[in-house]
Amino acid sequence: MIRLWLRGIARRPGRLSAVTIGVALAVGLLATLGGFLSSSKATMTARSLTKVAVDWQIEVQPNSDPTTTINAIRSAATFPASEIVGYGTANALSSVTGSTTQTTGTARVLGISATYRTSFPGSLRTLVGADQGALLAQQTAANLHARVGDTITIDRPGFPPVDVRVAGVVELPTIDSLFQIVGAPDGAQPLAPPDNVVLLRLDQWHQLFDPLASTRPDLVRTQLHARLNHHLPTDPAAAYSTVAARAHNLELKLAGTALVGDNLAATLAGARTDALYAQVLFLFLGAPAAILAGLLTAMVASSGAERRRAEQALLRARGATINAIGKVAMVETALVTLTGGGLGLIVALITTRVAFGSWRLGPTTLQTVGWTAGALALGAAIAVLVIARPARRDARGLTIAGARSSRLRAGQPRWQRIWLDVALLGGAAVVFWVTSRNGYHLVLAPEGVATVSVSYWAFAGPVLAWAGGGLLTLRIVETGLRRGRRPLATAIRPVAGPLADTVSASLSRQRLLVARAAALAMLALTFAVSTAMFNATYRHQAEIDAVLTNGADVTVTQPPGSTVGPAEAARYAKIAGVSKVEPVQHRYAYVGADLQDFYGVNPKTIVSAGKLQDAYVAGGTVATLFNRLAAQPDAILVSAETVRDFQLLPGDQLTLRLQDTRTNSYTNVAFHYVGVVKEFPTAPRDSFLIANATYVAKMTGSDAVNTFLIDASGKNPRVIADRLRTALGATGTVTDITSSRTIVGSSLTAVDLAGLTRVELAYALALAVAASGLTFWLGLAERRRAFAIAAALGARSRQVGAFVWIEAGIIALAALVLGGAGGWALTHLLVKVLTGVFDPAPAALTVPIGYLAIVAAVLVGAVAVAARAGIVASQRDPLATLRSR
Amino acid sequence: MKSQPLVSCVDAARTFGRGESWVVAVYSATCDVYAGDRIALVGQSGSGKSTLIHLLAGLDLPTAGTISWPALGARRDLPGRVAVVFQNPSLLDPLDVTENVALPLLIGGMDAAQASERASAALALLDLTDLAAKLPEELSGGQAQRVAAARALAGRPKLLLADEPTGQLDHISGAQVIAALIAAADEAGAGLVIATHDLAVSKRLATTWRMIDGRVALPVARPNFEVVSS
Repeated sequence: MIRLWLRGIARRPGRLSAVTIGVALAVGLLATLGGFLSSSKATMTARSLTKVAVDWQIEVQPNSDPTTTINAIRSAATFPASEIVGYGTANALSSVTGSTTQTTGTARVLGISATYRTSFPGSLRTLVGADQGALLAQQTAANLHARVGDTITIDRPGFPPVDVRVAGVVELPTIDSLFQIVGAPDGAQPLAPPDNVVLLRLDQWHQLFDPLASTRPDLVRTQLHARLNHHLPTDPAAAYSTVAARAHNLELKLAGTALVGDNLAATLAGARTDALYAQVLFLFLGAPAAILAGLLTAMVASSGAERRRAEQALLRARGATINAIGKVAMVETALVTLTGGGLGLIVALITTRVAFGSWRLGPTTLQTVGWTAGALALGAAIAVLVIARPARRDARGLTIAGARSSRLRAGQPRWQRIWLDVALLGGAAVVFWVTSRNGYHLVLAPEGVATVSVSYWAFAGPVLAWAGGGLLTLRIVETGLRRGRRPLATAIRPVAGPLADTVSASLSRQRLLVARAAALAMLALTFAVSTAMFNATYRHQAEIDAVLTNGADVTVTQPPGSTVGPAEAARYAKIAGVSKVEPVQHRYAYVGADLQDFYGVNPKTIVSAGKLQDAYVAGGTVATLFNRLAAQPDAILVSAETVRDFQLLPGDQLTLRLQDTRTNSYTNVAFHYVGVVKEFPTAPRDSFLIANATYVAKMTGSDAVNTFLIDASGKNPRVIADRLRTALGATGTVTDITSSRTIVGSSLTAVDLAGLTRVELAYALALAVAASGLTFWLGLAERRRAFAIAAALGARSRQVGAFVWIEAGIIALAALVLGGAGGWALTHLLVKVLTGVFDPAPAALTVPIGYLAIVAAVLVGAVAVAARAGIVASQRDPLATLRSR
Repeated sequence: MKSQPLVSCVDAARTFGRGESWVVAVYSATCDVYAGDRIALVGQSGSGKSTLIHLLAGLDLPTAGTISWPALGARRDLPGRVAVVFQNPSLLDPLDVTENVALPLLIGGMDAAQASERASAALALLDLTDLAAKLPEELSGGQAQRVAAARALAGRPKLLLADEPTGQLDHISGAQVIAALIAAADEAGAGLVIATHDLAVSKRLATTWRMIDGRVALPVARPNFEVVSS
């Protein structure tokens, strides 16, 4: 019997093929997104590993002998590379330039070996001069006005000053971690790295600071800088646990003689939070698509349910047992699982190759196998749910008479009577409200806690919205067709002519079928719209993040204390590729006891030069606020935190203390508060101030500019940055937006979501086509006998078309209107729930008009093609259709 | 002198399939149906009765020979002038009985109110008024077949063709349907051809054509036809 059944399937493969495609879509999507998730996590881990210059800084504790402890460390653990570094503190550094002497405040003097650079290549970058010898940090060189070959003096407490000759000027890219307080929590770490740093050869450092160690041991430290074996788990959370455990193990072995400054774990801790966000994104964006593919498959399968029931009833009547029918269904299920699963995996591999450049569904073989098995299991589950289970249920529970029971006079379903759809949407609204409040965090990573957690209840919002939206569409279309029979007839009379009442009656009685098709198409469109809008908003915010971090396409930053004026902008403007240069003063000002970043700008040009957006300010548009700034010389924009802390009201006077270059001391300068600013290029996130540059220059006696924002006007920022570096030498730091996008770290913005976006949007498009065109076509195919009868009664193509086109119109209209609205609402909810993913949070959604227009056109096109195919088929040999049963 | 035939077949043949699966359903049939003819088309199952009915109705085209409708016009003009009662269930599921009966009238362009009135009259003729608001899925097979007959009568066709219309009916219902078909044909002066293997039905009609393995035997003395009744 199984062979006979299979032969029957082979003769009528349409529906089974459609079910197979549905399974393939679900399998393909899960495998692709799963692979992407694993690869993203591996990328985050890999980026963390490359970002950290020194994995561990193991500091010998006071009262422990450095040599003994270092030996103990090296015997307790094996490192691919390790170097001893001496840390000494000097009272001051000084240099003589011409007739003036420059003296700094407290300085840190490091001793490093000749091989340190080779062991930790990311820790030092020579700007000018030699790689070895006495090296000055860039800012220190600027403070001392020292050049290569000059002599500087190191003033040690209680010992005579020592002169050293400057061999080179270096940049210390990881200066914060280099001068961390090992063992101190995050809150106790220094707010800023030291301004004055000299690096000496280790032997020279020992000569200068070993004597100091005996008199002032508090001013001398010894660390062992180590690089770890990077064979770590690919998941950042697992890698973090491994690294942290190794550090704890080492500390345990050293019995308190040394502490580990675990830079690698600190970086991985950030990455594991991002990885969790990536996982959440996967669930929010991938799971609905997989469920939608399952629903689509179920609908395709159910559109042939009547025929299957009739065939089963016939088999039963001819003696087939329930078990025999069950076996047939299982064979069909296995066939669909294997074919659809195989097809889905092939699609996933091709997609992964095209989008992510790999033939694997994850960074490791184990993960590839895991995702393959998981995706196939999903495919099998869908196949069982849509084929085997209904077949078995029907075989057990249905009689032949029961199979004929009326579907066309079905009353209002129970869920409609109890308003389940509205309740679900209400639940989603509650989640939206809760997540809109302050204090909500989707991913919780409390300081000092080893594990991060996700408040999974937030998933309830989108889940409720999905379910409620689908049911509401069912209700709207079903109720509209049930109650609106007469208005519908009137509306379609121009198209249907005398058949208008008949078409309306037919649609009204088939309202459940039409409503189901419309709801599925609506869900598919909701998915496409929400995915596209979410991804577009995410991309937009990531770009803003990069712009805010770097300030502009290319940014030149002068060292503190620089006297370079705004006229320098003209020099930069001459460099090939530079289209505009905007000078910005960056200083520090005391607001009460707080030292805050202070920016002096030209309010007339900064808005366009800094690409400022309305979301960056509060209480008006960015144009309004900067116009206020331009209108009043002593106006100032402050952060919301400052307004709150100092109880400021618009117009209030705010007296700041700024350094006056004429007296070299801090002096009071009065400003008037005119507005709140939340973001500004290169500014820190918490608190900063913006005022008029001309007023600041007048009040402080200096028009020195520390930051130049350079617009590359679409040209390659990296190339222009290189040109500027060549032109500037060691006199300024040049950064470009392209590098900044990746330097943001292992954060989500640095993970290439473009591939994921392409995959999701392609699947969304495929789902929209399948959910609208394919299901509609299958619905028409199921009713081909009705159309054949109409044709046999003399109905022409146009008259059959009246039935088909009007149904197609209802489905397309419901999908476009309700799906569009649903997608828009869902995106709002997703953006709220996933606020933590965005940095900065978006003020408005980004609408990818082009893609949405394509989706709408494709959906309408798919329905139209299906309608046309149905009409053509109805006219093709209707007698053969009538004879077929 | 006889008027023009409603339908005229000259050496009309219909084959299905190709190669080994090639089947001849109707061999070169030459026959005419005139207004007022009452013809029983008898033969065993598979003898080609349904195919000939479809050819006469213009629903199918011959693969050889010609079929024309001299008194009815071109093939495209046949809807409304020719009506067929099909052998298999042929009601549209989402339409109620009245809507099903009115459908061919509406397809022909009749005003909705008039079509509904004509449909009600046709239902009354077959004593089906009680079923007017029922859906096809709520009817028995016999009731559905009577509704299909009512649908054929509602259009007051010039040529009425029925393919085994009593196959699913009990004796009384069958007799009622045949009587209604004959009465409707009489009233409209239409030609009536009923494919049947029910002897009782064929006896009620004036002429019998027998079909054997796709060949039509007419009751006129022609070289290749056998006269079976008159």
